[in-house]
Amino acid sequence: MPKLLIVTFAVAALACLGSSRSALADGEVVAAFTKNQVDPHFEGVRAGVEQMAKKMNATVRQYVPTKPNNITEGMSQLEDVGVTRPGVILFMPIDPKAQLPTIKRLIEAGTPIVNYNDKAGDAPYISFVGEDDYKLAYDVAKTLFEHLGGKGNVVILEGVKGSNTGDERKRGFDAALKEYPNIKLLASQPANFQRLLGLQVMENLIQQFNEIDGVLSAADASALGAVEALKSAGRTKTAVVSINGVPEAVEAVRDGSLLAIAEFNGFKIGCVATEIGLRAIRGEKTPKRLMIPGAIITKANFAEWLVPYDQRTCPTAESYPAE
Amino acid sequence: MTTTQASLLPAPPTVPIPMLVRLAMIVVICLALSFTSPAFATIDNGLNLLRQASLLFLVASGLTLVIIGGGLDLSIGANLTLCACLSASAIKYTGQPMAGVAVSLVGGTLVGLTNGLLINRLKIPPFLATFGMLWVAQGIAYWFMAGQVIYGFSPAFRFFGSGFWLGVPVPIWVMLAVGAGCLAFLTRTTVGREIYIMGANEAAASLSGIPIARRRMLLYALSGFAAGLSALIYVARLNAAEPGIGEPLLLPAIAAVLVGGTSLFGGSGSILGTLLGAIILTLIVAALNLLNVGSAWHPFVTGAIVLLAMLGDAFAARGTRR
Amino acid sequence: MSDQALPITPATARGLLAGIPGVAFILLAMIVVFQIGNPRFLSAVNLANIGLQASLLMMLALPMTLVILTSGLDLSVGALIGLAAVIIAALLVAGLSIFTALAVAAGAGLVVGLLNGFMISTFGLPAFVVTLGTMGLCEGLALALTNGEPIGGFTPAVEAFYRSAVLGVPTPVLVAVAFYALLSLVLYRTRFGIYIIAIGGNKDAVHLSGVRADLVHMAVYVVCSVSVALSAVLLLGRANSAHPTVAIGMEFEAIAAVVLGGTSFEKGQGGLFGTVLGVLAITVLRNGLNLLSVDPSLQVVCVGLLLIAALLIDRNRKRVVTRIAE
Repeated sequence: MPKLLIVTFAVAALACLGSSRSALADGEVVAAFTKNQVDPHFEGVRAGVEQMAKKMNATVRQYVPTKPNNITEGMSQLEDVGVTRPGVILFMPIDPKAQLPTIKRLIEAGTPIVNYNDKAGDAPYISFVGEDDYKLAYDVAKTLFEHLGGKGNVVILEGVKGSNTGDERKRGFDAALKEYPNIKLLASQPANFQRLLGLQVMENLIQQFNEIDGVLSAADASALGAVEALKSAGRTKTAVVSINGVPEAVEAVRDGSLLAIAEFNGFKIGCVATEIGLRAIRGEKTPKRLMIPGAIITKANFAEWLVPYDQRTCPTAESYPAE
Repeated sequence: MTTTQASLLPAPPTVPIPMLVRLAMIVVICLALSFTSPAFATIDNGLNLLRQASLLFLVASGLTLVIIGGGLDLSIGANLTLCACLSASAIKYTGQPMAGVAVSLVGGTLVGLTNGLLINRLKIPPFLATFGMLWVAQGIAYWFMAGQVIYGFSPAFRFFGSGFWLGVPVPIWVMLAVGAGCLAFLTRTTVGREIYIMGANEAAASLSGIPIARRRMLLYALSGFAAGLSALIYVARLNAAEPGIGEPLLLPAIAAVLVGGTSLFGGSGSILGTLLGAIILTLIVAALNLLNVGSAWHPFVTGAIVLLAMLGDAFAARGTRR
Repeated sequence: MSDQALPITPATARGLLAGIPGVAFILLAMIVVFQIGNPRFLSAVNLANIGLQASLLMMLALPMTLVILTSGLDLSVGALIGLAAVIIAALLVAGLSIFTALAVAAGAGLVVGLLNGFMISTFGLPAFVVTLGTMGLCEGLALALTNGEPIGGFTPAVEAFYRSAVLGVPTPVLVAVAFYALLSLVLYRTRFGIYIIAIGGNKDAVHLSGVRADLVHMAVYVVCSVSVALSAVLLLGRANSAHPTVAIGMEFEAIAAVVLGGTSFEKGQGGLFGTVLGVLAITVLRNGLNLLSVDPSLQVVCVGLLLIAALLIDRNRKRVVTRIAE
């Protein structure tokens, strides 16, 4: 038994040491933070970061909490990353308020930080790279309402209450609703960007309301769950739109189960944020804010989003309008 | 423990009064909701809710057996996740739904057996052994999936989650089958009755010749098997397997078992209780949604219901216990 | 448990060694491995980080040790500390003094502790279920009070407190150490402490010997809840905000730390020092994995392996010890 124990432990230790990126690498190290290992959107972000870093001859270290979206782990990882002194940090907040104190101290200690994906409070970041959640939601909602001819009953599947992304998208949906007086909002419930919750909330809404013409979903996962619920209840006429654009959802657009998606492209965000971060520490001038515009993915144009990440090319900051 | 030594006679597996109390709770909630919302009291909605409850029940079914036998299994959620991911991958790779079924059931059982081994051979307390397995299984799932989702299954496979048979959703049939199976096991077989004795008083059970270690292995294997089976239904229902699928299921499953009247000390409880518990919890969530109560209040209400159910049982048992 | 001074002969050396929980060896091994992987592991900055990160878990795990010694469990601590943080933050923002805010939070802890203690001790309900219920109540209340959004914008004094240090040692670490000293005193040097350990062994015996076992049993849960509620100030200092569900899940880590340290559910054995080692082991593991930037999914597996490994060592040594005793 002791031998088995020592062997297992030795194997684990070697695995950990082996999988660790060289802790004191020469050259620039990019420390990239994402929120979880569960949502394919963040896989896209990580893929973009890796590709751009490779192109620019830098190394990447990924930091993801072991429990999805766990704030405490997020705080601990930020505190720990300060010790390893990376060249630049790419940061997206799990909770914009909780991690701010550590961020501020890291910047004060001299580590440059790029805030990407969603806003992380008020701090002297090098730059913010992201997309306008409000506008994405607004645009895709309008697409739905136009498709419905300006009238009908809709429901909203919200994101996580209190998250920047969720709140901004809801605002966008609400703004579009104001412009279409003949579109009636039946209910708006949180689905926490999750698939099972999206499915069950939709199931309950189907029971409650006989006629639902459209569904506005804050994220692909909830939309896909809702689509399953609609399919099994036989409500094939209900149109569903969402925000994000992960491969599975794009396929749903291709197959007609989703009407349209507003593109919140993790890959592009990862690429551009990495580029800006590295250029900044190499002494070049970089924009303080870069909003990547999001297209509306429909049956007409979906193909580009089905290309696997390793076959995509990283866009560069120049391709986007400076602000 | 505070209670006096339990009698060596097997406790009657189902205690009628608490079950009636739970049935009454269900009826009351349903009546209240029917008044509030006309769409509630329809057969469609009833089936809809039962289907949601059946998913919860399946996860909690194996757990019920383990708890009755005096143990605890915290790994069911992560086990479900791992089985879902592995089986989905098997289906995609071979194009055969049966491959996925085999992988999920075998995989789940293996995890359960590992739990049993950790507890039996290495004498690790069930809380820790299964908590450790939770992390290991979840980690393997994360590594295996590499942030991806596996989606898009054949209609034949999805039938198990989204299909109907004789007008009733398939998961409900599965729930009834599993429930009946567990009931038969617990009440009609010698092994089943031994489980109760083992849970009530392990020392006495051992002295009277019950092979504790073997029975324990069986219980954890069954719990793992149930997780594997549930994984299939979940994947079929969601039409996708993702590494976050099982994580939020652990506490609701435990709550369902406990609201159902099964005691954490072991030795008493029933599968029927878990069934009713699952239905009650599902109804509560549905009620809160229907009444447009902010989702912030859900944990509060669920917690209150759990406590009330416990208090109710305590009062009911006061006569017989002290 | 540790003994009086004995001459250090090979026999007693093994005996002494047997008194050290298995997790201590793993902790040592991890420190070595991580230092090899990243020489900055033992730097002052990182050690301070480890201390800070451990201090919060310590404040949850130490009173949890007392609860587990009575063969109980308190699952509500994670939710309670979030609720307390929300209460304190809200009151501070409303302009009340820190002392008032702490008093109210302690009051909330008192209520929860009494609720737990009453149902577990007087009614004899299983601790797991009761505290699962109160966990839901606390979490729900915290979410409802904040509508899911974090509260910020209170006096910077809280964060300053968290970041302050005395002679280079971060204040929260000192708080945790002081708390450890206090609880050790209570547990090992007062009759109250003896009763706590005895209740875990056989509550009826304690009761029969004339002691108000029920009250002691209830008091343990009250102590746990009140101290957890007050510890919320550390959470507030670290995040400079109060998020209602930030600490959900920490209760399991606290329990794991206690059991890792050798305190067993079954018989009221074990101790506070073991818990300290357990907390350190978990914190060092996570910190080290971050420093080595180990693949995220492997990190998850490692946590599970840690638990299993520590227990294996304990089992192994218990067998060795009983063989020596023969």
